[in-house]
Amino acid sequence: MPLKSYFIQPVKVYFAFFLIAGITLSALLVSNLHSQTQSVQTALQEKTLQQAQKEFDVVLDDAIINLTSNLLELADWDEIRQQIEDPSYYYFWHEDRLKGSGYFKNNYAQIELYDQNKWLLMPPMDEDSLDAPLPLQIQTDEAELIFVSPTKAYLHMFEPIFARDSQTLLGYVGISIALRSYLIEENEFKDINPQSIKFTETQPINLSDLSSNIHFKPMENTVANELWQQIQNFIVDIVILLSVFTLLMFVIFQRLFSRPMQRLANYVQHLKESTNDTNTQPNETFLIKEFEALKHSIHDYHRDLQTAQKELNTQYEKVWKQARQDALTEIFNRRAFDEMWNQLVATYEYNPNDISFILFDCDFFKALNDTYGHEIGDDVIRITAKTIQETLPSQYDVFRIGGDEFVVIIQERPLHEAFAIAKKCLKALKNYNFCGIGIKERLSFSIGISHLAHQNSKNLRGDLLNLPRQADIAMYKAKQSHQHKIQCYESQLEVESLSLVSSQVINTIVEAIHTGQYIDMHLQGIHSVQENKLYYESLIRIKKDDLFIYPKDIFSVVERRRLEVEIDTQIIQQMLIAFQKGHIPSNTGVSINVSGKTLLTSNFVDLFEPFLPYLKDYKIVIEIIENTLIDHMEYAKTVLNTLRSQGFLIALDDFGSGYSSIRYLAHMPVDIIKFDMSMTLALDADEKTKNIIRSTAKMVRDAGYDLVLEGVETEDMFEKAKQAGATHIQGYLLSKPTSILKIYGSK
Amino acid sequence: MKQHALFIMKSISISLLALCLSVQAKTVTQQILPFNLTAEANYALGEPSKPAVLILHGFLSTNQFFTVTSISDSLQSEGFTTLAPTLTLNISQRRSLVKCTSLHTHTLQRDIIEIAHWVNWLHAQGHTKIILIGHSSGSLELLEYASNAKNPAISSIILTSLFYLNGPELGILSQEVTKAQALLKNRINTPSNYQFLFCNNQYYATPESFLSYLKMDKSYTLSLLENLNIPSYTIMAGADKRFHKVGREWLDALEQTQTNLITIEGANHFFSREYEFDLQEKIIDILNQTPP
Repeated sequence: MPLKSYFIQPVKVYFAFFLIAGITLSALLVSNLHSQTQSVQTALQEKTLQQAQKEFDVVLDDAIINLTSNLLELADWDEIRQQIEDPSYYYFWHEDRLKGSGYFKNNYAQIELYDQNKWLLMPPMDEDSLDAPLPLQIQTDEAELIFVSPTKAYLHMFEPIFARDSQTLLGYVGISIALRSYLIEENEFKDINPQSIKFTETQPINLSDLSSNIHFKPMENTVANELWQQIQNFIVDIVILLSVFTLLMFVIFQRLFSRPMQRLANYVQHLKESTNDTNTQPNETFLIKEFEALKHSIHDYHRDLQTAQKELNTQYEKVWKQARQDALTEIFNRRAFDEMWNQLVATYEYNPNDISFILFDCDFFKALNDTYGHEIGDDVIRITAKTIQETLPSQYDVFRIGGDEFVVIIQERPLHEAFAIAKKCLKALKNYNFCGIGIKERLSFSIGISHLAHQNSKNLRGDLLNLPRQADIAMYKAKQSHQHKIQCYESQLEVESLSLVSSQVINTIVEAIHTGQYIDMHLQGIHSVQENKLYYESLIRIKKDDLFIYPKDIFSVVERRRLEVEIDTQIIQQMLIAFQKGHIPSNTGVSINVSGKTLLTSNFVDLFEPFLPYLKDYKIVIEIIENTLIDHMEYAKTVLNTLRSQGFLIALDDFGSGYSSIRYLAHMPVDIIKFDMSMTLALDADEKTKNIIRSTAKMVRDAGYDLVLEGVETEDMFEKAKQAGATHIQGYLLSKPTSILKIYGSK
Repeated sequence: MKQHALFIMKSISISLLALCLSVQAKTVTQQILPFNLTAEANYALGEPSKPAVLILHGFLSTNQFFTVTSISDSLQSEGFTTLAPTLTLNISQRRSLVKCTSLHTHTLQRDIIEIAHWVNWLHAQGHTKIILIGHSSGSLELLEYASNAKNPAISSIILTSLFYLNGPELGILSQEVTKAQALLKNRINTPSNYQFLFCNNQYYATPESFLSYLKMDKSYTLSLLENLNIPSYTIMAGADKRFHKVGREWLDALEQTQTNLITIEGANHFFSREYEFDLQEKIIDILNQTPP
């Protein structure tokens, strides 16, 4: 399973995560320890509080019992009775006797006597010094607690005094006890902190409510407190230790890992941004051996990579150059031209400018080749390319796009300047001494120029795409002239070139080529000599209403208008439709003719991709004319072998119509050789010619190619063809070109 | 050892005898009208043929003092009617000893009135022959009473541990006496601490109270004893520590009077321990000698 993007984080984030996780875990443990200890402490405190409460209850009960007992003793004291009966010496008794007697206990604030009516027997002498003096009259026999302050409260208790031998009430005795002092001094507390005893200041209360108004704190448990303090110290120590540890870890991590990694990352980033820099290796020495090794490795690797990159660049440049350089002339080839042209087309609308398309062609080059041989022909091509290149302004390149065709694209210059450049080139070519390479005749060159003034164009792209064809037409015009070897395209040229063909026919042909309408594809059988098998050569026919246009007129228009690629594309499309509709008889096949221009288009292989599904049931042959193949042998090999590897068969058409075909016979990327009709007819010629034809046929067969002889119209011719070694025969004798629909209908 | 064993045997036998006789003593309460005080006494009725005996406690004591109870119990066991009052000392129904530091407002005269009240009460109960027994200052007060008493029922008096109350040898300070006399003369009856008897200087009393008892000095006491109209018996403890202050001459002085002096050698002031029974025997012997 692929990792989520958010998992990819800097090492610092992971370190921080683990550090925080560790600290959090530790904090939780410490917190838990603290919590547990606090629970124990709380439980201990509650227990201590319970014990303290229990102790306090006992102390309070004992205090009340003791005080009550003391009060009863006091009430039974003879001298009390004496004073009630005769208070003549009350003050003396009260001050000199009572307070010195054992009845006036510690923490007694006051002892007073009351008469039978509960009125104070004698007013106290020191009333002003008392915080809570006993009342003048007893309001209730119940004991009462009188509050003065949180630490002062006085318990007032009263006891009736009866006669010894009767229930005759003599009076009352009242005592006021400083309760807090009494409790503290009369008891030794074990669980209560005596100094913490305090009162809630309220109105006087009686004994039953006493407990709820007295508060205290338990005696501090020194062991527990010490333990608690120790634990708190431990927790503080842990926190400090964790903090120090964290800081230390951070510093160590920073020093050991983060900084080296950051340095290395920066180093790598720097290398990425400054690929040519090889001397920026970090000066810092890392503590971790692996980082140090990694630093050196990166440096060494980058250095090696740069070396390799340079080598690759060199190789790439070499390959790129080779791919785009014509091997013969060392100028740009057709591929380079296509790339440049496609780039120009793609960007032209965004950057329109005046542009001139100059097409150079050597007149009668084929004848030259036939006369002087290919080596001289190649010399002529090399000299022509070099001369044009040297004559051109330095910013322009010349491309070899065909056997003897050269193209120069002039941008951002008006037509007259382009014309001047072409003129200069033509002059240089004329002045070149071709006698030096053994050519005795004067060579002539034709130049066609088409120009697009962008400011006058309403369809920049369309007009641009027309420039090659227009230059071709202009060059055709130049070839026809002996004096004006440089021609600029004008629309009038198209009309002139087709003066023998009616405009209706021309329009119909052009429309048919562009739309597919009016095309009636015909098939002519190519029959196997050995087996009862055949395949068909596809032949274009155009028919509109009653107008039937013959191939001669069609190809005349195509040639004049340079519509070779368009018509090939249309034929291929029509044949694909025929396959798709099942119009092609089974166990047969089809051969499709393509021109040299179509072969040289960059998408040539792609044109046949839709036919791949039909290869298993049909034989599909692509026919290339001999001159096209030989003129572009290297490029053609690459393209045609690709198609062959896919299952297509390649047929070399019109073999023998050109020159030096035999020289390439052994290595041509083809499967089938079709003799030119002139060679078939030559089988009726003199014996010597027939022998040459037979020998040539034998060589073809020996080289492993199938051999097709076309133009066989008689039985005699058929027999001679068979004897010559033909594997397939094509001609009116066996079958005439027939509409696909008719063939399909007959099936 | 022999004396100790004898003491134990006597104790057991008297206790058993008292139990057998089942003499029922009761508390008698009387209003001492002139002072509006309530006084109490233990009264045990004996055989009608035998005289009634009034037994009076010593200074600041009560009828529960063991010397008194010892005499009472022994006499009751012999069939004598006994009456042991507690002088109120101005405290109604006084039950406990009065401390030196207590406020003393009582006087010798009041004590004599209370004694007279009880003798009269006893007489009123039909006892025609009454014998008075006093201990210590109780002996002095009975002596003072008997010297002036007109009641014919009083037949004789037994004085135990008889001493006097006034004299420098007893610690009485003349300046205190002078001061008290001056206060009393000026009708200032403010209590003060005095040097008196065993209270040293902590006897907290009004001048009137203090001075009243000083009447009983050595010569006055001897004169009363000399002038008594009834037979008197004086039983002295040979080891009484009072002799440290008054000297053994006091015995000689007593001897010089008409009283019948008996000295129990070895006994302390209170005739405690085994001398308790010697005292009882002597008293019973005296009572049995008296004609009915």
